Amino acid sequence: MDSSFLLSITTFAYLLSTLLYLTGVLFRYRPLLISGSIVGSLTLFIQTIGILLRWQESYQLGYGHAPLSNLYESLVFAAWAIMLIYLILELRTNQRVLGVFPALFAFLAMAYASFSTQVDSKIQPLVPALKSNWLIAHVVTCFLGYAAFAISCGISILYLLRKTAQSNNPHPKGVFALLPAPRQLEQFNYQMIVFGFLWLSLGIITGSIWANSAWGTYWSWDPKETWSLITWLVYAALLHARTIQGWRGNRAAWLSVIGFGCVLFTYFGVNFLLSGLHSYATK
Amino acid sequence: MQQKKGLLDILYQNLSSMRLTVSLFLTLAVCSILGTLLPQGTSLEELQRRYSPTLSWWIDTLGLNDLYRAGWFRTILLLLCVNLIICTMQRLPKTLKLLQHRDELISPERLEKFNCHIEITAHRPLDATRVQLTKIVAEEFAPLQPLPNSDAFGAVAERGRWSRLMVYVIHFNVLVILVGALLGSIFGFKGFMNLAEGETSDEVMLAKGMQAITLPFQIRCNDFAVSFYDNGAPKEYRSDLTIIDKGQEVVTQSILVNDPLSYDGVTFYQASYGSILKRVEVELQDRDTGALQRLTLPYREVVPIPGTQDEIEVMQYQENFSSFGQAAAIVLLKEGQQPTGSWILIDMPEFHGNRIQNYRVKVSNVEKGQYTGLQVKQDPGVWFVYIGFIGMLMGIGMTFYTSHRKLWVWASPGKSRENSTTVFMAGRTNKNSLAFEQEFNRLCARLQDDLNPKQK
Repeated sequence: MDSSFLLSITTFAYLLSTLLYLTGVLFRYRPLLISGSIVGSLTLFIQTIGILLRWQESYQLGYGHAPLSNLYESLVFAAWAIMLIYLILELRTNQRVLGVFPALFAFLAMAYASFSTQVDSKIQPLVPALKSNWLIAHVVTCFLGYAAFAISCGISILYLLRKTAQSNNPHPKGVFALLPAPRQLEQFNYQMIVFGFLWLSLGIITGSIWANSAWGTYWSWDPKETWSLITWLVYAALLHARTIQGWRGNRAAWLSVIGFGCVLFTYFGVNFLLSGLHSYATK
Repeated sequence: MQQKKGLLDILYQNLSSMRLTVSLFLTLAVCSILGTLLPQGTSLEELQRRYSPTLSWWIDTLGLNDLYRAGWFRTILLLLCVNLIICTMQRLPKTLKLLQHRDELISPERLEKFNCHIEITAHRPLDATRVQLTKIVAEEFAPLQPLPNSDAFGAVAERGRWSRLMVYVIHFNVLVILVGALLGSIFGFKGFMNLAEGETSDEVMLAKGMQAITLPFQIRCNDFAVSFYDNGAPKEYRSDLTIIDKGQEVVTQSILVNDPLSYDGVTFYQASYGSILKRVEVELQDRDTGALQRLTLPYREVVPIPGTQDEIEVMQYQENFSSFGQAAAIVLLKEGQQPTGSWILIDMPEFHGNRIQNYRVKVSNVEKGQYTGLQVKQDPGVWFVYIGFIGMLMGIGMTFYTSHRKLWVWASPGKSRENSTTVFMAGRTNKNSLAFEQEFNRLCARLQDDLNPKQK
């Protein structure tokens, strides 16, 4: 059994989890939601072993580095982080309905990593620029932030749907019957954004310190750096806007969706459309 | 005079508004996007080649090709700082006052209006209840501080008062980071130097303005090496460097991409490498006498031609000279004459132009060495930036994950029954109300249990 086998199981299992969550919401049937969580948790466990195995395999190949060094490995880690954070949120809030989007995002990340021809899943040696202890710290912190923002985006979409469909009805029927009240959704969303903001800040800062020790500048306005700052600014705006009357609720939810758009551009757009210091992330 | 003050007031009000903060964040975000879409650091000529004259005029005038250093972009940043400072000046005194303000007169009527509140009847006298209450709240939450009250027991307990100050810690550290960046750009420099193996130098070409500065010490490259993985990808770039200060070799160290060398506040980073000519071997045939000479010519060193008064030097070398392959520019120095030279085509030894005056020149061997490209930097502001980073992170963590929670307790002799006490408790938090509700409910449950133990 090797890591690629476990990780391909992971891809399909996240799809199954997504479908269970989705049908659970659509048919208002709680056992489906519960099985969604169970499948999700088991998959997370399998994926964790898969990632650790891949780490070990890289040592067997003589390269010996954490599985965080290229697009494939970062996508796998992104899916892992999304599900980990989501399942902890689910445990704490006991709200399984929120699982649809995180499971979907995790599946999409895994599917893209596995099936796209742009993504090379081979274990490759580290180029000199990546040989640093900062690699783990930088990638892990950034992706914990990205993952929290992905979950927040999912919650925001649910919030906006809930608001537009049945804004005045405290006990909505149909698809929204199981959804928590808007006030609660807002609270969960805020928690995720705060969590993501803390990790994104850490991610930018570790990246900055790393750049200073590798190239001698902690900030060089490279497109990747700039886009991470743009993302940070959007979420900073969101956190400040909450103190202004009328900026909670819909506007905050929209800002969160826009913020996640910035995350996606920072992650993919910069790699494929703009050139810069992070070019090794495209392979 | 009246109107002027009014204007200043309006300006001050706007500069202290949170709406301005949010707009500035979003404006900075949008402007930064522009800078990532347009190539940065391009010259006007290059712009004109790529875009229409009008468009390139606009790009150049607005500084969009060097956006992050443009005056207007820096002005937005400055405005954000001013906004931050004025907001702090306005709010910090209020926060400090709030924190100093301790004693509050409380009454059951007021406590009942809180979101988190509870009323418990304890089946014991006031004094016993008070002792028990004080003990439980101190264990579960924080020590109770009694408030002056004549006929009843009133007290308040608080946790995380300092949490309200953390937001100022974040903002202060944002300023520290910006001050660090400013210090770096005023007192520091950034540049590069190319050192051939064996070469010693103290000249750094600055990144800005193509000027050179001289370091107060010298640096020598002893060796440069690249190693590769089996699949051909580069594995390691390594330069072996020696610092020479006042004629003394003080430090010898190897540097890698992620492992620079620092000396006297200046840091050398492995940035690039390339190959450079070391020496060539030439065959010189004097057309007049037919004499053949084999000479070794170190790059840019004048070598006498034995048996003559002439001297010869390799001035330049090109890997591909006008698509004729390798070529060396060799100069002949004859006493009392202007030096004459020619490009000698190395890969085409029979080329008829491979001659200088009376010598036919054939390059028989080329020996190349490597040079290492070093990024050189001095930045006295970097420690401010790092301290700002740490302070900001701690501030963010504590602002969002700690809260100022306050608990009020009021107990008076019960009216309905002899020897009973009515207890009111209420609590408030400045954020994260859901977590506080849980904490409050836990405390309530314990109070219920301990004040009225179930007797069986």
